[in-house]
Amino acid sequence: MKSNKLLTLLVLSMIIFSCTDDEDPVEKTKGDYEFGYFITNEGPFQNGSGTLTFVGDDGNVQQEVYKTVNGENLGNIVNSMFIDGDRAYIVVNNSSRVVVVNRNTMEKIAVIEGNGVEQPRHFVAIDGTGYLSNWGDPFDPTDDFITVIDLATYEVQGTISVGEGPERMLATSTGLFVTLQGGFGQNNEVVVIDPASNQIARNIEVGDVPNSLQDDGLGHVWVLCGGNPSFTGSETSGKLYKILLSDLSTTYQEFGPTDHPGLLNFDSGQLYYLLNGQVFRMNPGVAELPEDGIAGLEGFYYSMTVENGELYGADAGDFASEGIVKVFNVNSGALLNTIEAGIVPGQVVFP
Amino acid sequence: MRLFILFVFFSFGAALAQSGKSEQLEEILLRGNFAGSVNPGYSIQTISDSLLKSDYQSLGELLEKQSNLYFKQNGYGMVSSISLRGTTASQTGVFWNGIAINSALNGQTDFNTIQGSSFNSIEIRRGGGSVLLGNGAVGGAVNLSDRIPYGEDDAFRFFLGAGSYETFKGQFSGLVSSDRFTVKLGLGGMRSENDYPYLGTELKNENGQFENYNANVSLGYKIDDHSQILFHSVLFQNDRNLSRTLTVRSNERLENFDARLMAEWKYLADRFTSSLKFAFLHEDFTYFFNRDQPENRSEGSSDRFIGKYDITYFIRDEILIKGGLELENANGTGSSLEDAERTDFTAYGMFQHRPAERFTYNLSLRAGTSTAYSIPVIFSVDGRFDLSGSFALKAAYSSNYRLPTFNDLFWEPGGNSDLEPEASRSGELGLQFQKEMHTISLTGFLIHSQNLIQWQPGAGGIWSPVNINEANNYGIEFSVQGGKRFNEHLLSWNLAYDFTRAVDEELDTQLIYVPEHRANAIFQYGWRTWTAQYQVQYTGEVFITTSNSQSLDDYALSNLELVKSFFDRRMILSLKVNNLFDKAYQSVAFRPMPNRNVHLNLTYKF
Repeated sequence: MKSNKLLTLLVLSMIIFSCTDDEDPVEKTKGDYEFGYFITNEGPFQNGSGTLTFVGDDGNVQQEVYKTVNGENLGNIVNSMFIDGDRAYIVVNNSSRVVVVNRNTMEKIAVIEGNGVEQPRHFVAIDGTGYLSNWGDPFDPTDDFITVIDLATYEVQGTISVGEGPERMLATSTGLFVTLQGGFGQNNEVVVIDPASNQIARNIEVGDVPNSLQDDGLGHVWVLCGGNPSFTGSETSGKLYKILLSDLSTTYQEFGPTDHPGLLNFDSGQLYYLLNGQVFRMNPGVAELPEDGIAGLEGFYYSMTVENGELYGADAGDFASEGIVKVFNVNSGALLNTIEAGIVPGQVVFP
Repeated sequence: MRLFILFVFFSFGAALAQSGKSEQLEEILLRGNFAGSVNPGYSIQTISDSLLKSDYQSLGELLEKQSNLYFKQNGYGMVSSISLRGTTASQTGVFWNGIAINSALNGQTDFNTIQGSSFNSIEIRRGGGSVLLGNGAVGGAVNLSDRIPYGEDDAFRFFLGAGSYETFKGQFSGLVSSDRFTVKLGLGGMRSENDYPYLGTELKNENGQFENYNANVSLGYKIDDHSQILFHSVLFQNDRNLSRTLTVRSNERLENFDARLMAEWKYLADRFTSSLKFAFLHEDFTYFFNRDQPENRSEGSSDRFIGKYDITYFIRDEILIKGGLELENANGTGSSLEDAERTDFTAYGMFQHRPAERFTYNLSLRAGTSTAYSIPVIFSVDGRFDLSGSFALKAAYSSNYRLPTFNDLFWEPGGNSDLEPEASRSGELGLQFQKEMHTISLTGFLIHSQNLIQWQPGAGGIWSPVNINEANNYGIEFSVQGGKRFNEHLLSWNLAYDFTRAVDEELDTQLIYVPEHRANAIFQYGWRTWTAQYQVQYTGEVFITTSNSQSLDDYALSNLELVKSFFDRRMILSLKVNNLFDKAYQSVAFRPMPNRNVHLNLTYKF
């Protein structure tokens, strides 16, 4: 009986809710893609287009959402995506363009391309200004730069010349941190840009091949350096750098001589990274690198994102057909879900 | 094996005294292991001199139109690779006068870096042929033949052509011969802006310009009735900007240079032939990601020295034996190659028996050794049975291999020096009908390949090749050729259809860029000094992802040619319209091919 009453109540409330909904369009969702997250898929190199996969909170997975809405391709090698409020900036590397969309509806707003966009890698927005890392000619180590973009007009304001291979960026209270990973080569610097003047405030030397960075919210930026790979003939060990935001001083911990970690993440006060097919967790307050990986999370992920206690590991398979993203509970290692993605899934991006 | 061959070699003196099979031996001496008589179980299509000379074009363009072969091209004039019977580009052997010329770097042949019209004939041999031919002839093989005649009238020929997209080409060839000495020369070149529009878009092929130059010199000297010494050479320079795709602009450029030299001593007796060849093959490429910054480039080159000795001997009228030794030393260098070197030695023997007038079979075996990998022992059985005067049944079964390339073995980073050769077994059964002007042929084939080399991303994100894949290919090839003459009219046709399945054993999907259906039809009508030719080729849907989730549309392409000859065929004028119906199509995804284009060619012989 009790459950019957409950059911009646539920049905009634639903009718009322839907009535009000009809009468008041302000309550409507902002778009089909408001609730959920995105997976960027690079797409096949050269002969094709990258795509976006949308995973709704209801579990619904939609492929090629940009193409579905706009009827056109994003371009070749969708490298990354940055969400800033209602807007998303999709960085298309090989096609040298940034596609700006309404992230709720996926409708195209603008395309940033031409001068100032050449082999772009990552995008970050700070207070109405966009920063885009660019390799320039990937075989020219001297023409790499950060583009400064006015996000009101989507026009390029200027460029900031940096060393070889600018990659990931992070906005902090001290400025914009840019890792100089080295592009097709190897580099060992982090550049700090002052967003007030758009000038380089500091060059910080770190380990070789800085590939990812995180802010722990406790006044430190952590930079994970993979080290030079063995084929370079000058192999170096991976290093985890800690940069103090207050004075930009550095300390580091060193990995084994042939260890090349990557994909640094920060979630719920813990750092995570991938090394030799294992996921490691580290408390930023502890001075030592962890010895054991987390059981159940093993995998050579092409990309890895830890968010709200869940780990999203991308598996690109043979790189010539659709890949998958596996979702794990980062504590128990239990596999929660396997999501079909596009060709060469890269980033998992949360609003 | 070696003892056996030495025995044959020393016993040839006895053979000289005997009489007999000179016609067959001459064919074998001319065509080597592509001769029809040493391949009773296989079909060999020959593209003749006159067809080759009708235009100055790349080998890829020529074969795509004249045979039912499938090529995948990164845009017109760009890198073009073949898939025969659904095998990979490195599993089709390309040979030049019997010497394998697939790149030592990547194992493939770019069919746009070989000029088609400078050879005397081209033989296409479908089916596994590693035993007789060597490395890479898994799906089939293509041989480029030079022929040296003696005592012919001096002949010179000029060819000039011009067409759409500012395409210009020209060739001069000459032949001077006496009864004992022959000089043959060919010089040609072609250039094109190649800026065709990408139909259905606002884009055009803005970075597709190419130019290439070709030189051939052949010499022949007849020492006596039995012996002659020959020299062949081909130089080819091809400079191409690489076409943009629909999503990526390009400023890339690729420069290729190939030099091929060969000296040969041929001996022909009544029952015996021998051929000793020394060849030098050089290839190099320079790739510019941005041609405006030529200091940033990647390079690669290889040099190969080859010695090859082949003999043929009729023990009795119905028993033919054949054997050969081949030694090849190759080395490669490049931006991503270090100390790449290998020396391969292989030997083969063939026993052919004709127990009855209408039945011939072959047994053959090849073995070898190498400094870089282990070469498996492979064998082949093939035969032909004449059911009647016009019906023949052909069958073949063989094992074949494709050796790892320098890139597979030595690429920095990722090269894997522990690779095994790709191995395959193939069988086929064919029925052939031949009567007067008509030939009908139906062949079914099966290929099982294992240890296929595939590059995979390794633990550190570095790609490395491994022997991993297995594939099963099967299909049917059907062709009809015929003609009809009435008074001054000649109508001829050449129709071909191939059904090809190439299935990745693990995924159970069709391999990418292998069309299930491929068809080609050529209709030719001649009247007095006029000829009209209509050619239509159909390429079925191809999958472009290994999961078969995405594909490229099928397309039918029509080409039309009108030819008029003047002055007793000394001058020939031809008008060609390619892609007659202005069809938008892609051979490789996101890389459109040309729209309708028109070319005018003039040939003058004296």
